[in-house]
Amino acid sequence: MQKDQRLLDLAALLLKAAEPVSWREIQEQFAHDYAGKGEAAIRKFERDKADLLELGIPVRWVAGDEDLPAGYLIDKDEFYLPDLKLPPEDLALLYVAGSAALANGSFPYIRDLAHALNKLSFAARAPGASEAAAVAARSLSADDRPDGGVAGRIEELSGAIAHKKRVHLAYHGAERRERTERAVDPYGLFQQGGAWYLVGWCHLRTAIRTFHVARIEALEVNASAPRTPDFAPRKDFSLADHATREPWEYAHHPPARCRVRLDPPLSAEVLASFGPRARVKEEGGGATIEVDATNSEGLLRHVLALGDRAEVLAPRALRERAREALAALARGLA
Amino acid sequence: MSPARRETAKRTRRGRAQRREAAPKRAGGQRSTAERHPIDRREPRASVPPRRKVDPRDRLRRVLFLVPYAVRHPGIPVRDLARRCACTEKELLADLDFLLGVGSPPFAPDDFLDLYVEGDRVYVALHQSFSRPPRFTESEAAALAAAVRALGGEGRERAVKALRDSVPRDRRASFDELVDRIYAGAPPAKDSVLGRLQRAIAEHRAVRLAHHSASRDAETERVVHPWTLAQRFGHWYLYGLDPSRGRPLAFRLDRVRECAITEETFEPPGEADLARARLFSDPEGDPVRIRVGAKAAAWAVSRPGIRLVKRSERGGAVVEVAGASAEWATRFALSLGGDAEVIAPAAARRHFAEAVRRTLARYA
Repeated sequence: MQKDQRLLDLAALLLKAAEPVSWREIQEQFAHDYAGKGEAAIRKFERDKADLLELGIPVRWVAGDEDLPAGYLIDKDEFYLPDLKLPPEDLALLYVAGSAALANGSFPYIRDLAHALNKLSFAARAPGASEAAAVAARSLSADDRPDGGVAGRIEELSGAIAHKKRVHLAYHGAERRERTERAVDPYGLFQQGGAWYLVGWCHLRTAIRTFHVARIEALEVNASAPRTPDFAPRKDFSLADHATREPWEYAHHPPARCRVRLDPPLSAEVLASFGPRARVKEEGGGATIEVDATNSEGLLRHVLALGDRAEVLAPRALRERAREALAALARGLA
Repeated sequence: MSPARRETAKRTRRGRAQRREAAPKRAGGQRSTAERHPIDRREPRASVPPRRKVDPRDRLRRVLFLVPYAVRHPGIPVRDLARRCACTEKELLADLDFLLGVGSPPFAPDDFLDLYVEGDRVYVALHQSFSRPPRFTESEAAALAAAVRALGGEGRERAVKALRDSVPRDRRASFDELVDRIYAGAPPAKDSVLGRLQRAIAEHRAVRLAHHSASRDAETERVVHPWTLAQRFGHWYLYGLDPSRGRPLAFRLDRVRECAITEETFEPPGEADLARARLFSDPEGDPVRIRVGAKAAAWAVSRPGIRLVKRSERGGAVVEVAGASAEWATRFALSLGGDAEVIAPAAARRHFAEAVRRTLARYA
């Protein structure tokens, strides 16, 4: 029998059963699928159980007591998607966020996300539902996404992260400008400035490293024993520490206190662009920002991009570096 | 359905049921679907391009959505159901056919799922407990949670908790782990343009935008009915209806200088509106070209939305960005720390040169 049919039949049987269904009965009903008395039949059934769980269908084994026989069951409460019971504005947020992420073209677990938006229409009706459904449908049927390469890598990496499978990658580094091959235990994915990054334990450098997904030239996920994890992430790992690091917080030199002047009018976006750890002193409509930089080159780039409404005040060396960079550009433009 | 049609449908089902009674107890899946499928097989309406590799779980996920959806919408047109399931009509009919073979032991006639198509509409006669979709898998919920966290908003932690509660109990620990493995960006600053738009979308309130139009290179002000937000190539876009033009447009958020929520409310768009409109029109205007030095080239080229035109000597490159404003190009070139310059079109280069001159004056 086809596996997908068997899985649905099994789910239908357990959903309908009034009490737990014994292994013997399951074997009887699916005689050709779980034939034999040996371990093989049980292993096959266990794999089916795991597949069902991956679809969101939990099959549970209960030990018998005086009232109930021992066997397998699906709790109806644990099976059906419940109502989310959220106020309309929170539901709208779910729809807007989900469809925005889908429109992004590359997002971790993008197919799961599209399925989730589809299912959401059962768990809640709210403004935004039909927009989200349209985007979800488009995303699920899209054969070629605009960002094909990166989207595909992200999909593969998402799976590897969820199942803790080691990956082998060929990477084109930006600093050294060379191609290296390495094994990486993928810990997580983050997005910054529209680009996706992989963070993981790098076996080549024996340290946690960050990889720009667009610069991964080849990627291979360890295909053996797909349900057995290859690694456990280090206990002290926190993705947020990596993802929320501003470019000037990369560890390149000892911390240096830097000050930046911003002219009025100040926009919320520009103030927020200095991150949660910046100290802001607003004065005369403008502001002075103070940050501790361990990569002052990163801060310089950020300030230059703000144009003539921003200026590096201190330290003197960084201010001089900004002046030099601009003067060199001006000479080239003259 | 008219009484006569209902009668026909009933007869069809009874006929199938009788044949099922005669069928032997299931053994090895030799139930023939051909002899008793009620599906009105037609020629596919359009040829479909070959799909990319099919995940075997996809069909199961699709049908676990399809059945309850059809239960909830009795008589839904085949075409609409196929669109909701993101498959072709042909695939949908194949799914319905497949579902007729699904049931539970002892496989008596009433133990099978029973769906039928009549007059191009889908009906579910017996749903066999598949009346609602299953709970979220941990990756479905975690992906949605990551998207919500990136967009921010006051309700985000409530929404994330509700998502967690919708995952089977046994999988919540995996959800917790997975949700910490994706970080889709910092939420927008409070009271930022993005934050305000999010509110306006949720409340169906029109917004007044002061916006830089790339095609006209001029500042325009207009009232927009915000429909949805999208992030692409590292930029946020608002997609909404411009009532004065009578058509939906995409606005790049970094070109929106001012955004005020008005008292005017609007009807949310229907699915058809969104299906008709393309989320992203082709970028307008000449592409901007930027020359980057060796140090900046690797960074610039791997940025989303940036196209490599040519490599130059000593590791540098010329790159191109479609639909970028002079302002954006200047900011991008300067963000490469003095190792890049805007070279074309002439107006963008002038904008860049002017910005360099003015900024340099601050350091005099």
